[in-house]
Amino acid sequence: MTHVIAAELVANVATVLVRQGDAVRPDDTLVILESMKMEIPVLAEVSGVVAELAVVEGEVIREGDIIAVIATGAS
Amino acid sequence: MTLTAEPPIDADLDTRDARDPELRLEKLFDVGSLKALREKDDSGAFAARGTINGAPVTAFCTDATTMGGAMGADGCRHIVDAIDAAVREHVPVIGVWHSGGARLAEGVLALHEVGLVFQAMIRASGRVPQLSVVLGPAAGGAAYGPALTDLVIMSATGRVFVTGPDVVRSVTGETVDMESLGGADTHGRRSGVVHIVTGTDDEAFVAARAATDLFARQGSFDLSLIGPERDLQTLLPESVKRAYDVHPLVTGILDDDSFLELHAKWAPNIVTGLGRLTGRTVGVIANNPLRLGGCLDSPSAEKAARFVRMCDAFGIPLVVLVDVPGYLPGVGQEWDGIVRRGAKLLHAFGEAVVPRVTLVTRKTYGGAYIAMNSRALGANRVFAWPGAEVAVMGASAAVGILHRKKLAAAQPGEREALHAQLAEEHERLAGGVARAMELGVVDELIEPKHTRSSIVHALAAVPAARGAHGNIPL
Repeated sequence: MTHVIAAELVANVATVLVRQGDAVRPDDTLVILESMKMEIPVLAEVSGVVAELAVVEGEVIREGDIIAVIATGAS
Repeated sequence: MTLTAEPPIDADLDTRDARDPELRLEKLFDVGSLKALREKDDSGAFAARGTINGAPVTAFCTDATTMGGAMGADGCRHIVDAIDAAVREHVPVIGVWHSGGARLAEGVLALHEVGLVFQAMIRASGRVPQLSVVLGPAAGGAAYGPALTDLVIMSATGRVFVTGPDVVRSVTGETVDMESLGGADTHGRRSGVVHIVTGTDDEAFVAARAATDLFARQGSFDLSLIGPERDLQTLLPESVKRAYDVHPLVTGILDDDSFLELHAKWAPNIVTGLGRLTGRTVGVIANNPLRLGGCLDSPSAEKAARFVRMCDAFGIPLVVLVDVPGYLPGVGQEWDGIVRRGAKLLHAFGEAVVPRVTLVTRKTYGGAYIAMNSRALGANRVFAWPGAEVAVMGASAAVGILHRKKLAAAQPGEREALHAQLAEEHERLAGGVARAMELGVVDELIEPKHTRSSIVHALAAVPAARGAHGNIPL
């Protein structure tokens, strides 16, 4: 199973805190976005492994753009 | 609020069908309190009086053991009787739904009677709390029953849709299963039809009991229950730019384990829910910076507006926690009707007569400042934490506009320093909270540790009141 994490709003990718293959748990911060003059952490909503990281620092992303895909490992 | 307790029924000793409407209402009510309004029949609905934590209520349940709970004329009359009795007796009414809609065999008569159920609900709207518990499919006419009520609870097996997957496929060609079309996740996260999603039916009854208790036994403020100071400042990040989850702040202000969140997954950039403050039921509305930076957008404005109107209709005081950067900008938002839908929140607060207090924790900017229960819209008391900013926009953004030419003329190497200096001056003159206090739109700066006490005292000082209006599902 995979869990897709997408951007909720237009933002600048300020910091990327995980790498592909990292294990994450709910509420771990994956990346920090900058938007509306704020730093908004994007959290892993599920436990799993970062299967895909679709953003790089400095990139501008739009609402709905995929940030990361978490493989939740049904095992 | 923890919603895990099992309702007081010993399932092992009961051989009845789990869908039996009498059994379902027994699970909802206090043990031994059920009294049928009429004997159980094959009408497709069963109605009864009972109590929840001692408070009298009425309830009805569609009978899924007869024709899939389809609603005929007689069953609809039972439901109307239950709603009318609740209005007469000033008690909440709870509907338990598992029904395919109007009975096909009864034709237009069934449609008319389902319409009379809706009319009874609309008559009762804003007069007595109406709650719905959806445990199975609630289709067609049965979908709009819950939708017209104040609060909808759905278990994992609940489904609400106007037309089922077969009709959808034949008309639009879309292939979808019942759960994706109208299940708990769909309505709890996407559509906003459902306020509380639970795993099991039993948990849905526990949630319905908890919510009914908050409406029916509202209690009163008891200043002796304020308790020791709570250091709420530590719940916010040190950096004022960093977003955070507002939930710990909400629960930190309320009585322990008393918060019942509504619409938790839908429009999560604003948090709404009922809880208790020194024993009294209150409604809480809080911007959640973790989601969308806490911006107001169309869904969150509608979610909050409906919640404000519900609390106002039932005399539930409001606590409004503000940390908002503004309305969410964007073409999509404008085309989606942020102007029309955002206006609902202005109207809801402006119309409300219940005691209502605002606390600005970090910032409140622009149109969102007005919308979040500002003094202009009638807040009884507006507090701010030290360092809070009340402004049209952040100082840095403001000087970028006000001093555009001056900044453009500056040497590239000096531009940043000039920008920072101008922002500092602007903040001193127009921003911060000092000017807002001078104008009387913020009443008082309070230390975070005194928040709970200040809010309780402020709400308790305002005479109780209740709005005289229905609760249209905005």
